[in-house]
Amino acid sequence: MKASHWVWLPVAAISTSAYATTYFSVEQAQRAIFPGASFTSTGKPNTWWTSNGGYFVVERVVGKHEYITVAIGINPNGTVKQIEIMDYRESYGYEVRDASWRAQFVGKSANSPLQLGADIKNISGATLSSKHITDGVKRVLQGLKASG
Amino acid sequence: MVGMNYLFKSQTAGQQRNATFEAVRRMPVCTGHAARAAVLAAMLATVASAASAEESIFAFVYTTDLLPQGKSEVEQWMTWRHQKNGGTYDQIEGRTEYEYGLASNLQGAIYLNYAWTQAYHNGPFNATTPPEQFADYNAGPDDFFNAKRFTGVSGELIYRILSPYTDGIGLALYTEPTIGKNFFELENKVILQKNFFDDLLTIAVNFTYAPEYRNVPSDDNPTVLNWQEETDVNFGIGVSYRFIENWSAGFEFLNEREYNSFDFSHMSNSGYYLGPTIHFGGERFFFTATALWQMPWASVHTDTVPGTLVNHLVLDNDFERFRFRFKAGYTF
Repeated sequence: MKASHWVWLPVAAISTSAYATTYFSVEQAQRAIFPGASFTSTGKPNTWWTSNGGYFVVERVVGKHEYITVAIGINPNGTVKQIEIMDYRESYGYEVRDASWRAQFVGKSANSPLQLGADIKNISGATLSSKHITDGVKRVLQGLKASG
Repeated sequence: MVGMNYLFKSQTAGQQRNATFEAVRRMPVCTGHAARAAVLAAMLATVASAASAEESIFAFVYTTDLLPQGKSEVEQWMTWRHQKNGGTYDQIEGRTEYEYGLASNLQGAIYLNYAWTQAYHNGPFNATTPPEQFADYNAGPDDFFNAKRFTGVSGELIYRILSPYTDGIGLALYTEPTIGKNFFELENKVILQKNFFDDLLTIAVNFTYAPEYRNVPSDDNPTVLNWQEETDVNFGIGVSYRFIENWSAGFEFLNEREYNSFDFSHMSNSGYYLGPTIHFGGERFFFTATALWQMPWASVHTDTVPGTLVNHLVLDNDFERFRFRFKAGYTF
């Protein structure tokens, strides 16, 4: 192996670590949130209409070290049906994947506070992740409401 | 960018179909030497990703981020101080730290401190002058001074009053007693932190008041040690932006002031340092490195030792022309 190959070894090692963990692909998240439904692109990136009149959106939010990918299912009336964490690679706060924490979002709408520490509980050691997931869900709901 | 829907640039449709609900590790397709490098890289990546942290995003400036309750971290510090008035001067300080999250807003730590130095004709008027951590040693003006020592043990408590993520601004109080041979210090800080741009930009400000006692050779009779008062009063600011996943970069600025008293009288030195910082944070492993150069902004004060101010650089005690600090940590 040429010396030039070894030079890049640490960089490659660190950079590949950024692609380590995925819990759901898009199709898997779609099936988990809307079992049996079909999906049609709305024309906006990572936003689909569901066959029952709802929306399925994949949102990327800032984590402590890396981005966190969140799948958000929205009912026809504009409330949250379910969210799933598709990627999470932080030191702490894997509780964001717990069903009980994610269940706090069910039924929230664009008019809900969706504020960490108010209607969404914080997770100790993962405050930044909890805040950004909460903000991300609120941003999607308000975006869909604004676009009609 | 932030807040936009995520485009799966690293996945193909086929990969998505074949993905499992378990962790997926991907590796680029390549051949020959590049393939071997990639395999080794993946092995190292496994260690790095198995490893992440409540890390120090700056090498000198503290933030209000703390470990969660019940979590631990080990850190290794290395600080290189280089070049005084002239001649030869190098000092390498090591610190080995264990941190523990005592409560959700309270973190404790213990440090072991050690140092090595070499100095020759480094001080005022070309005299060999042991640096501050070796101030209780005697050295002749033409000696080549070379020494290493265990400098002491430190404890640390940080209490966070406000979080930058939920309160808009972070505020924490810090105290760190250090005890060593012929030395005692109580370093206290007020730490402020404000984040911007979806927490990608971190700005931290530290105010430090650190009174200390040192047992140093008397000016009249170097064979006799006298306890002397000194206070370090420092201001620090760090600015760092996470420019890609895992990586942040920015700068740190320090103003360090020394007083030969505990009450801000008898000011001896004030030095200014500025330089770049870079930080990597993985799932359990991090490292941070900062290089600081002294800015030529120093001036004479009431207790400035003659010959320690050169071209508007203060080079007395623990002031030098250049310093570099590297920290690495592992969370478990």
